[in-house]
Amino acid sequence: MKKKKSPAQKKEALWGLAFVAPTMIGLTVLNFYPVFSTIWQSLCKTGDFGKGNTFIGLKNFQKLFADAEVWQSLWNTIKYAIIEVPFSIAIALMLAVFLNRKMRGRSIYRTIFFIPMVCAPAAVAMVWRWLYNQQFGLINNLFHVSVAWISDPKIAWISIGVIGVWSIIGYNMVLFLAGLQEIPRDFYEAAQIDGATGLQQFWNITVPLLSPTTFFIVQTRVIGALTVFDLMFMVMDKMNVALPKVQSIVYLFYQYSFTNGNKGMGAAVVMILVVFIMIVTILLQQVEKRFVYHN
Amino acid sequence: MKLRKLTALFMTAAMALSLAACGAAPAATGTADAAPAAEAEAPASDDGGAAPAGSFSVDAITVNIWDNNQLAGLQEIADEWTATSGVKVNIDVIDWNNYWTLLEAGASGGEMPDVFWMHSNTAQMYMENDLILNLDDFIANDPNMDLGNYYEGIVELYNSDGHQYAIPKDHDTIALLYNQAIFDKYGVDTPTDDWTWEDVYEAAKAITEAGKADGVYGYAINTSNNQDGWYNIVYDYGAQVVTDDHKDTTIDSEEGKAGMEMMRKILTVAAPQDIVAETGTDSLFQSNLVGMITQGSWMINSFYTAESHDDYKWAMLPYADVNGNGSCDAGERWSCYNGLGWAAAADVEDPAACYSLIAHFCSKDMQVKQAELGVTMAGFKGVSEEFSNAFEGMDVSAFDRVEAEGSLYFRPYTRNTTVWEDAIGQTGAFLDAWQNPEDVELMATSCDNAAKIIRDAIANE
Repeated sequence: MKKKKSPAQKKEALWGLAFVAPTMIGLTVLNFYPVFSTIWQSLCKTGDFGKGNTFIGLKNFQKLFADAEVWQSLWNTIKYAIIEVPFSIAIALMLAVFLNRKMRGRSIYRTIFFIPMVCAPAAVAMVWRWLYNQQFGLINNLFHVSVAWISDPKIAWISIGVIGVWSIIGYNMVLFLAGLQEIPRDFYEAAQIDGATGLQQFWNITVPLLSPTTFFIVQTRVIGALTVFDLMFMVMDKMNVALPKVQSIVYLFYQYSFTNGNKGMGAAVVMILVVFIMIVTILLQQVEKRFVYHN
Repeated sequence: MKLRKLTALFMTAAMALSLAACGAAPAATGTADAAPAAEAEAPASDDGGAAPAGSFSVDAITVNIWDNNQLAGLQEIADEWTATSGVKVNIDVIDWNNYWTLLEAGASGGEMPDVFWMHSNTAQMYMENDLILNLDDFIANDPNMDLGNYYEGIVELYNSDGHQYAIPKDHDTIALLYNQAIFDKYGVDTPTDDWTWEDVYEAAKAITEAGKADGVYGYAINTSNNQDGWYNIVYDYGAQVVTDDHKDTTIDSEEGKAGMEMMRKILTVAAPQDIVAETGTDSLFQSNLVGMITQGSWMINSFYTAESHDDYKWAMLPYADVNGNGSCDAGERWSCYNGLGWAAAADVEDPAACYSLIAHFCSKDMQVKQAELGVTMAGFKGVSEEFSNAFEGMDVSAFDRVEAEGSLYFRPYTRNTTVWEDAIGQTGAFLDAWQNPEDVELMATSCDNAAKIIRDAIANE
């Protein structure tokens, strides 16, 4: 049985639609359309300037799967994530715990650690590029060594990872600080009366009660790390011999799409990344069910 | 109540409008042939097409270039045009890599700059897709414009199917740059116009060995120094990176391998590739840590204004004494040359204004002025002398001499040059050889790999 709407209800529904329209249009134009367009392009041999695309099925993917460079880049991306995510979280958690106490200059320290987040990523990368420079770099000159920080394939990926950790610590720390302030003080007082040490309090109160925040950071950072691009792009020269061992999958996408003008292959690279991130996210959701403690 | 309704309606409309504006850029391409002849007949004045004030329908023209060194000089030339036309010219500098990314995105989305530089790497692709303004009618109706006055190779480059899409802005050649102070310090004779690449090797070896303690090297070259570097050696030895028909390469021939073998020999006494990749040959040279590099005429200003510019001297590019008679014969000294073109987007609001600006940039007077200001060597023939005199206290005639005494070849290009150009300088091609210059076999293999990369890329065009 259908209920007939009164004119007032109709009007209200109309206005409702009018007001969600901007968001809906924005989402459609800026998100949904590009998503489907990318999927379509990944199945095409694309023409210049987005004209004259011809459907070629899964040929782009066949070519990519047979290309060792793609797997190497995916592995490079994973290696970067393995450095960035755990270290940035562990260090940020430690800093957050220390900066959550009453101490002199607390806000100054908080500000200092957050500053990298405010800087433009390109500027950060340029500064590190010169810090790492083999001949004139501050690091080599300070310690009187001559290490090819970003040209030696064995260590370049770590050097890039370090920049990633440094840039994101402040952001993670602020999130942790917010999480820490949610934990009621009573727990700590009770634990103190029972004679728990600071370390015991940390492991038995702070860590479990902070786990929703930790999980949120892990999830966003994993996705962030898997889509890294600017660090490799800005810090390493195109002719750097370590580049094949460091370049991320998004870097490869940039190479295909914008340097070589092959949008079809670029789209296919991105689709591989999307599927990979999906799998990782599903795994993380499973982990959440098991380890995250909800109050 | 009524007022509130009206306000709400107004705001919704405004939002919808602003959204529509984002996507409203029309992809008005393919109209190049229809450039209205009436507009093309805009009265041309003496300096090559600048029309009197008020005759154009736009207030400002956006110009995109990628070389910051040229900004001041070009702005000065453009301001002269503004004085007669009343149209403001805004020049934006975007670095080389991002320039092409941005231009392509603009071309796909219909938001290109009005007037911009075109380059041999991608010109063919833009012309074939009618993204650049066809200048035929404007040139035909402009009594001051004669394409015969410009370097043929550059005019031809910007011509597709008989239509002219850009007018030569400049041309460039290559020379050897050396640091007099370093040569003096280690007691090595400085380069002359009679030097062969073997002489370069000997001098680089002497400097690198003597300068070990100071971290000074005799020579520096990266795989990316192609046009201004190793391409020239390949041509000196009689091979071609891209053949004249743009369909093949002979870099893997006996001659090509002989040329790259010479390169390899020099690399054994040059700065290691990892250092060159991190710091860059130019920075190393300007830090007075390298005795010699090769550079293009478009870079002179950067060395002219450098701190120790008094020590920097230019010599003609060395030659390869292939026939072993001890002198430089025809075809033994090659310099790459290239030229940018001034082009306009096909869908500009006022094509006549854009052409007028382009014609102004390319007019003889302004080409001379461009040379005098030391911006670049002219695309207009016969005004090289002005450029040689532009840098007081620095002798840059080597760039001019190589034209008179050597041979010029146009910068190797195919339809989509960037695909193979980067790849042959990376791992899997010449970067391998650069990493291990002692390995003779590796350089020969790199030549084979590079040839395969170029042929595959051409096959995919």
